[in-house]
Order: sequence, then structure tokens, then C-alpha cells
Amino acid sequence: MEVDLSKITLRPFKLEDADDFLLFAGDDQVTNYLRWQTLSSKQEALDHIKDVCIPHPWRRSICNDNCSIGFISIFPFSGEEDRFKANIGFGVAVKYWGHGIATKAVKMAVPQFFVDFPDVVRLEAFIDAQNLGSQRVVEKTGFQKEGMLRKYAYMKGKLRDMFIYSFLSTDLPANP
Amino acid sequence: MEATSVVQLDQTKAKDECLNLSLRPLQVSDVDDFMVWASDEKVTRFCTWEPYTNKEDGLNYIKNTVVPHPWFRAICVDDRPVGAISVSANSGNDKCRGELGYVLASKYWGKGIVTRAVKMVVDTIFVEWPHLERLEALVDVENVGSQRVLEKAGFQREGVLRKYFILKGRSRDMVMFSLLSTDYQS
Repeated sequence: MEVDLSKITLRPFKLEDADDFLLFAGDDQVTNYLRWQTLSSKQEALDHIKDVCIPHPWRRSICNDNCSIGFISIFPFSGEEDRFKANIGFGVAVKYWGHGIATKAVKMAVPQFFVDFPDVVRLEAFIDAQNLGSQRVVEKTGFQKEGMLRKYAYMKGKLRDMFIYSFLSTDLPANP
Repeated sequence: MEATSVVQLDQTKAKDECLNLSLRPLQVSDVDDFMVWASDEKVTRFCTWEPYTNKEDGLNYIKNTVVPHPWFRAICVDDRPVGAISVSANSGNDKCRGELGYVLASKYWGKGIVTRAVKMVVDTIFVEWPHLERLEALVDVENVGSQRVLEKAGFQREGVLRKYFILKGRSRDMVMFSLLSTDYQS
């Protein structure tokens, strides 16, 4: 399958994305390393878009020719002490893996996020030690690997080792 | 002359190692001892809080934070509190993880007290909390003394987390250390 990366864009989710959303959010392979439960119906997809995607502080649909094939979420922490930090997560429909789509999406998302949330200084990603694909995405987009956090948290009932990566606002290339 | 001073140094070292150290809950009646370290800016340098200036605040801290805390102990020398050590708890998917913190009156620094206290905590926390898999600690990159405590207590250094924390208005890099229940058993 050919993918034209110039057709990969980011935009907010719409209810009309529900069928496309279900294609990836209903797939265990995509949600394997996410905290989401795999969705199992169009109604669940509609509810998720309405209750989670749309009110989310920064969630975008990754689109191929304006059709939703994945998501990027960047979540600033709440509270006085933590609002300078945020957490990134992403997922792409399996049939679109291997084309550099997630890498392109993250490359577009990160600078835009720092513009939208100027208080955030540190963007971090926790990536399962076995999730090589996502590790490659964040490494190619300039995140710095800081270490491996052993037995850091449960994910879908199993205790996981996670790599922690960060991208600081000061890591952004200076504006020309 | 040299022989005498060497003997004195050894005696001092032996004395430090013989210090009668214990951990027990910190109570409202300990407030005066608490104020000794809590009001010392050398002690609070890497703490998020400013030195305490009045006893009323100290009493409120003990009543509202220490007493209901999931795991908080006074570090005692001869049964007098000279510092504190605590482990925080998490819930849900994070309940495998607890964070260690400690503080010691500056007069007692350099005697290995906190290292001993950390070892005492490690000896008991995995038993008291069987769901705990990972004890972690975050230390400012400049707080070398505290990093040495954790290394001597057997923690593993996992990496430096850049601008992980805001301390008194400035972002700080922090070193992440961890000790797993499986590290402890082996």
C-alpha cells in the first residue's frame, strides 16, 4: 500500500469519525500498550469521541486524506506543581504501520503543542520496554531517552518495565 | 600525636555506628524536636517547602499530614526524633510503586544515619505492603549526599529526568533511583 505522507494531517476529532475510530480503537493490537479498553461497538466509539476526545485538552485525529486513522494525545498534568509537565500518547491503525505516519504526526504535534501550552516545559513519554515501534517513533522525533523504569506500573493487568523519554520546550529548534 | 588522632577517629566512627537508632510514628508531642530540623534552611534546601517559622504550623503539619500518612516514621536517636522517613502510596495501576522520602537534622549529617534508616525501611516495607513491587526515590542532581545514601542502601540509578520537578520556582533535573522487591530478596 502506498502512503503519501503529504496527505497526513492532524485535526480535532468529530462524531463523524466514529466508524474510522472503531477500526483502530477496536483493535487489540493498537490498544495493547494503551490504558484504554479496546472498544467494541460504534456506540462506544461515539461515546468515546464525545466524552473523551472532544473535551480533551489536546487530542488530535491523525488523518490520511482527512480520514481518521489514528490519534495523538498530549495531556498536561493538573495541579499547581505539575502543570509545567505533559504526557504524550499515540496510536495508528495497524494497516498503516510501517510508513512513518506516527513519526510524522508526532513531529507535527510537538511544536504545535508547545505553542498551545506555553507553560509546559517538559513533555514526557512512557513507552513499554517491549514496544519497539513506539520507541523508534519518539527517538526519530527527537525525544531523549532518560532511562528504564523497572516494574513501573500495571498495564492491562501486567507489571511493566517502561522507558521514559522527554522532549523539553528548550529542545525545539530555534525559530529561524 | 598521629597515633592518638587515628585512635580518636576510629572511636568516633565506632560511636556513630553504635548510635541507638529506631523508627517510630511521629506524634504531636514531638513538635519541638520536629521544629529543630523543619526550621533549618540547610535541611529544607532540596525540600519543596520553606523552613517552618512557627510551632502552630508544625503542629498542623503533624496533625494533618503526618498522622493520616500511609507510612511515616520519625528517625530517632536514643528515642528522640532527629528526622523523618516516609513512603507514599499510589492506587490503581500505580499501586505497585511507592516513593521514599527522608529528612534529617543537619547536626546529625555525615554519620550514616539515613542510610541505616533507609535499610530499616526496606527491611519492613515489602513485608507490610505485599503489593509493593517498586520503591523509588527522586533526588536533585545536586544533592550528592542523598544520592550516596541510596547507592549505599542498594538502590539502582535508572537515569536523570530533565526538568522533572519545580523546586522553589526553578525547574530541576532529578535522578531516579529504584529498589525492587525482587532486588531486595536477592
